[in-house]
Amino acid sequence: MTPTTSLKREPAAQAAPSAFRAWVYLIRLSIQRQARAHMMIWIALGLLAFTLFIVALNTQAGRWSMSYWRYPRRVGPTFEQHMLVLENAAALPWSPGGGEVYAAITASFRSYLEHASGFFVFSTWIVFGLFTTFLMPLWSLSFATEALGREREARNLLWVLTRPLSRPAIYLAKYLSILPWCLLLNVGGFALLCLAGGTPGRRAFVVYWPAILWGTLAFCALFHLMSAVLRRPAMVALLYSFFLETIMGNLPGYSKRLSISFYTRCLMFDRAHDFGMRPERPWIYLPVSGPTAYLYLAGFTAACLLVGIIVFSRREYLESAVA
Amino acid sequence: MPDLLESADPGRRSSTLASSVVNGPLSVKEEVSTDGGQATTDEAVLYFENVSKWYGPVIGVNQVTLELRPGITGLVGANGAGKSTLLRLAAGQLRPDLGSVQVCGREAASAAAKHRLGYCPELDIFYEEMSGRRFVETMARLQGFSASAARCRTEQTLELVGMADRANRRIAGYSKGMRQRIKLAQALIHDPPLLILDEPLSGIDPIGRRESIELFLKLAEAGKCLLVSSHELEELEKLTDHVAIMAYGRIAAVGPLVRIRDLLDNHPLSILVASDQNRKLAMALLDLEEVVGVEIEGDDRLKVLARQPRRFFQKLADLVLEEHVELRHLETLDDSTHAILGYLLGAGK
Amino acid sequence: MSSSLLHYREWQGQYHRPIWAVLPICRGALAMLLRRRLFWALYAFGLLLFLMFFFGTVLLDWLESQVPAAPVQVGNFKTDPDRIVKLVRQGLRVLNGSQDTFAVFFTYQGTMVMVMLALTGAVLVGNDFTHRSLAFYLAKPMSRWHYIAGKCLAVGVVVNLLTTVPAVLLFFQHASGDINYLTDPDFFRDGSGRGPAGLPLLAGILGFGLVLTVFLSILLVAAASWLRRTMPLIMLWSTLFLFFRLLAAILVDGLRYDPRWRLIDLWNDLCLVGFTFLGFEEGAMPLPLPQPQMFEAAIVLGGLCLSCLTYLSLRTRAVEVVR
Repeated sequence: MTPTTSLKREPAAQAAPSAFRAWVYLIRLSIQRQARAHMMIWIALGLLAFTLFIVALNTQAGRWSMSYWRYPRRVGPTFEQHMLVLENAAALPWSPGGGEVYAAITASFRSYLEHASGFFVFSTWIVFGLFTTFLMPLWSLSFATEALGREREARNLLWVLTRPLSRPAIYLAKYLSILPWCLLLNVGGFALLCLAGGTPGRRAFVVYWPAILWGTLAFCALFHLMSAVLRRPAMVALLYSFFLETIMGNLPGYSKRLSISFYTRCLMFDRAHDFGMRPERPWIYLPVSGPTAYLYLAGFTAACLLVGIIVFSRREYLESAVA
Repeated sequence: MPDLLESADPGRRSSTLASSVVNGPLSVKEEVSTDGGQATTDEAVLYFENVSKWYGPVIGVNQVTLELRPGITGLVGANGAGKSTLLRLAAGQLRPDLGSVQVCGREAASAAAKHRLGYCPELDIFYEEMSGRRFVETMARLQGFSASAARCRTEQTLELVGMADRANRRIAGYSKGMRQRIKLAQALIHDPPLLILDEPLSGIDPIGRRESIELFLKLAEAGKCLLVSSHELEELEKLTDHVAIMAYGRIAAVGPLVRIRDLLDNHPLSILVASDQNRKLAMALLDLEEVVGVEIEGDDRLKVLARQPRRFFQKLADLVLEEHVELRHLETLDDSTHAILGYLLGAGK
Repeated sequence: MSSSLLHYREWQGQYHRPIWAVLPICRGALAMLLRRRLFWALYAFGLLLFLMFFFGTVLLDWLESQVPAAPVQVGNFKTDPDRIVKLVRQGLRVLNGSQDTFAVFFTYQGTMVMVMLALTGAVLVGNDFTHRSLAFYLAKPMSRWHYIAGKCLAVGVVVNLLTTVPAVLLFFQHASGDINYLTDPDFFRDGSGRGPAGLPLLAGILGFGLVLTVFLSILLVAAASWLRRTMPLIMLWSTLFLFFRLLAAILVDGLRYDPRWRLIDLWNDLCLVGFTFLGFEEGAMPLPLPQPQMFEAAIVLGGLCLSCLTYLSLRTRAVEVVR
């Protein structure tokens, strides 16, 4: 029995259906439907705009340097004041050779303070302190758990499941549909923040973008898997991102190697090694090499996708059926 | 509605079908055609082979074997009888724990089977922000049609379901009837040989119902196999005389309604009765020709074995009034038969 | 069928005043929340810290009971067990039952309270809007403020289940070890701890709980009735309690801005106000220094509460609330 025997279809309508075409359309439809989450997008953009504003203000004020740091901590003069003292001391009657050496040392301090310390400050506070700790996981989880989670919550996943697309194809299409949003926010947003950060920011982007990219892929794969398995994936993703990752990240030993952030950071430390960036206490942090981190993030992404495909293929989504 | 249907065999009526079931109290193995003809195809469009489905400890569908060929089959049963589970199994949305479900020889959950079935779920949820036209077109695109083919099919199908002139409005603003038509349109968009319709007439106004019934009849005339669920037998009787009655997860009876009614009349029914004057009632009952036996159970109950239950219950009511007996308990002991009876007597609504 | 056959009869008793509707609304909301496994999983996580404090104290007491009274000599090494216990107690003074114990407990519970309230808001308030069940409440003879009060009460119960109730249990655990802890406000005069003990400390714990209850319940109900869906609520909630915390730390600790920037960290504000109830003096609180003044934090919290109440007032007047 052929499907096209009963309706008088015009010739244009009689073209044979193609599974690949349906799959590509599903990706397109899913991307469009993600755009329907207005509130979520506005909050994400609001966060980005606010962070950009703060970064730009600091760039304008020239705060990306250690000049404002104090020694002794909190109570002593700023590094800039120390530098002025050092520079004023150059006026003392040094011996001819000693004076030149002193001037060279002072100039190197000044150079580090004005040019190189900015990268350290920007990386520590904006890249590590804010972006990889909060913005990247939040943006990833919000879009990645919504691809399937939103349809499960709205109970309209059924419409996709009744079409002649295999479950693995649907799962992959949904994953691919979240990537433009997550990459746009994570990599694009990171690029904007770095641009707003001036010279240290631009340098940070060149150094860190591969880590952001791979971290995004891994986070998205994990949260997408959660949305296939759990009814309320957002809560568990939230718990994972801001509770378990923090706990695991701070535990001594090897348990932190289960965390995505750990490998993302290791990749960052590896690429920024030449700029003096390293974990605060490497003997406790026990970082892995860059290639190992790449391998782990890629493997983790692939494993999550594979498990997700298996789970999604076997599961019955009863909420789509309950009237 | 405009007639876009092209019948594969215009002379064949919608109730031409073949069906068999091996379980339930009223098991029938038959091949029936109300116009006296035979089913024209050997291949079963939908085939359940000894299918069981559990939801945890609760059984949804229990050892169902059912075979459907072109024509309309009504599926009736009380809420919770297992109708929707059976339809979801047929649509590949659920997988059987035991047995198999095949659509045109393909596993129901496979993509190949979904090319051959159109599912109109009971669930009243859409992509609400879309217009009806956009929704149907989206479903056509997800079916794998090119943009131009999808557009073309959408227009034709919307015309078929009578929504062509109203399909540009957002679905969120549609009435229940319009939503049902859009659901039907998405199921028809790829001309599947099998249509699974879960409560397709619920919430539709009388005119809309008539139009929908006409459409279903035409689709059946065109050689399609329709499995239509409803909890109202009256409604289904307008559509087909071939029904499957579900009770407690089983197909309790299947076949033409007339045959089921005949079988039910000849099937002795056990009824437990309690009254204030059991012996007097027992003697009076034995005078009824429908009663084939009465057994006194203890001091306060009677177990009555009766044929032709509809007539029996009518006479029992008269008897109670005439003899001034106070009836304290009346219970049908055979659950499945009771369920069928409920439907046939109109109490199952 | 006549109504008599249905055994229908009119209500013969007295109707309660509408204010009593708050209780069933709260009860219904809590029942909805408590039947979710995810709630109990999160609650179990939330209790980890309490268990740590509880069993830490038990272990310390057990250790004290196990050491011999006489000095111990191993070879030439002679030590006084009492001194060792004192040293351990000094190291683990956070378990001594003083104001520090409860300050640390409340501070650390912040993350779990944040995660739990994100779930609570979505379930208790968001669901009513998403599933349009608000109309059922508003069809009853009560005002919208009663609905809001009922929901706030339910949120308050959740907050207290995570914070005040475990803290009170810890208090009574210490009281059960030494009755003077309960009766003598100067229990720590020997220097084993600081701040008051006894009823002033208990009142401080309850006061802190009250601050948390009032502020968080009003903020959450306002946020949930604005955003309705789970994901935007999670994004906003984590922005308020995580993003701003990180940002405040970056601005004050990293970029050495004015300590008033810490006011954007709402949990820090709550701690500043709550610690005052526990008897801390400004500058001596277990919070990262420098800190803004307590009254500034109180103004921020009060202002936010007023803004939320104003929003709720406007929101409940809007027609779409009964959509």
